[in-house]
Amino acid sequence: MEIMRTRRLLGAALLLCAASVQAQFINERGPMTEPGKTAAVEFLAPDQVTVPAAKPTRVLLHFRVQPGLHVNSHTPHDEFLIPTAFTVPEAKGVRLASVAYPQGKDVTLPADPKTKLNVYTGDFTLDATLVATPGEHVVEGKLRFQACDQRQCMPPKTIPVTMVVTGK
Amino acid sequence: MKRNTVVLGVTLALLALFAWAGWANWMRRQQQAEQLLANAAKGTLVPNTQGGAPHYSTPLEGKPAPAFALEDLSGHKVRLEDFRGKAVLLNFWATWCGPCKIETPWLVELRNKYAAEGFEVIGISTEGEDLKPGDKAGLERQRDGVKKFVAEMKVPYPMLLGGDALSQPYGGLDAMPTSFYLDRNGVVVAAQMGLSSAAEMEANIHKALGK
Repeated sequence: MEIMRTRRLLGAALLLCAASVQAQFINERGPMTEPGKTAAVEFLAPDQVTVPAAKPTRVLLHFRVQPGLHVNSHTPHDEFLIPTAFTVPEAKGVRLASVAYPQGKDVTLPADPKTKLNVYTGDFTLDATLVATPGEHVVEGKLRFQACDQRQCMPPKTIPVTMVVTGK
Repeated sequence: MKRNTVVLGVTLALLALFAWAGWANWMRRQQQAEQLLANAAKGTLVPNTQGGAPHYSTPLEGKPAPAFALEDLSGHKVRLEDFRGKAVLLNFWATWCGPCKIETPWLVELRNKYAAEGFEVIGISTEGEDLKPGDKAGLERQRDGVKKFVAEMKVPYPMLLGGDALSQPYGGLDAMPTSFYLDRNGVVVAAQMGLSSAAEMEANIHKALGK
């Protein structure tokens, strides 16, 4: 009888504690985000690929630049401009053997028609060659870019390019 | 004995859970407070119904510009208060910013035109690299890039490094170029985000000079 009462009390105490821990977060609105701020470049696809194990295989990576913006191509005309670049950190399982970047488009700003900028706008695709060992691997690639519109430039940014690569 | 061990274990686990919940809550509140502070100075771009550059509306207008001390290209510390008594244009820019390069010759010309009346431009390089304090190699790399740019553009006014450290007090510096016009008492009288025009810049300089 004594044991049952103690167990009931302990159970009630556990429930109370769980409720009060949960209450620390009840009014939270989730992760902090800035309303109205979307990334200038979005990774579209693929989120998973299957490749022959240990064989260099081409994987097309699709990205989208937000309307009204442009990002420097991989080979901008000015040494100060930050090129778009894709990397995959050294990790077990998947290696980035090479990346072929598309040719950019030459554009000028209305305020400076003499200076050509080599940029990507809209959708663009990178041709990456990956080598994977057998098995499933989560690849945490990164795309670095620097975006502008016709009047202003945003700071350089790096977005994650995450996909599951299965070597078979 | 066994029961006591279980009770002790459960009690310790509960205490650990409480401690974690308290820490997590505290971290959350810290982040919210920082976000509030950052947003306190955030400006907004207001479309120009007459077709010109949008107007940058900043909560800093009418208030003293936040104080700072940054290094110039020679490594000397330069303070905003060193310029009290002069009308000042604080120009946040970056070497990778095309519009910044476009407006630099206008800044040079306007600075030379109004220098005798007590006007100065302070260029603040804001490379967006989030260098850690004490990252001497990073700062040196930025310094070399800025020196090259300054030499190419023949910039005659003070050029400071490390503008990213001023991001929070100056409204986030979400885009370059961003300029703040200060009167002789260091009060913000106008601001502009993005490329405008030499004429608009001159009008703001007049405001700063009290004309």
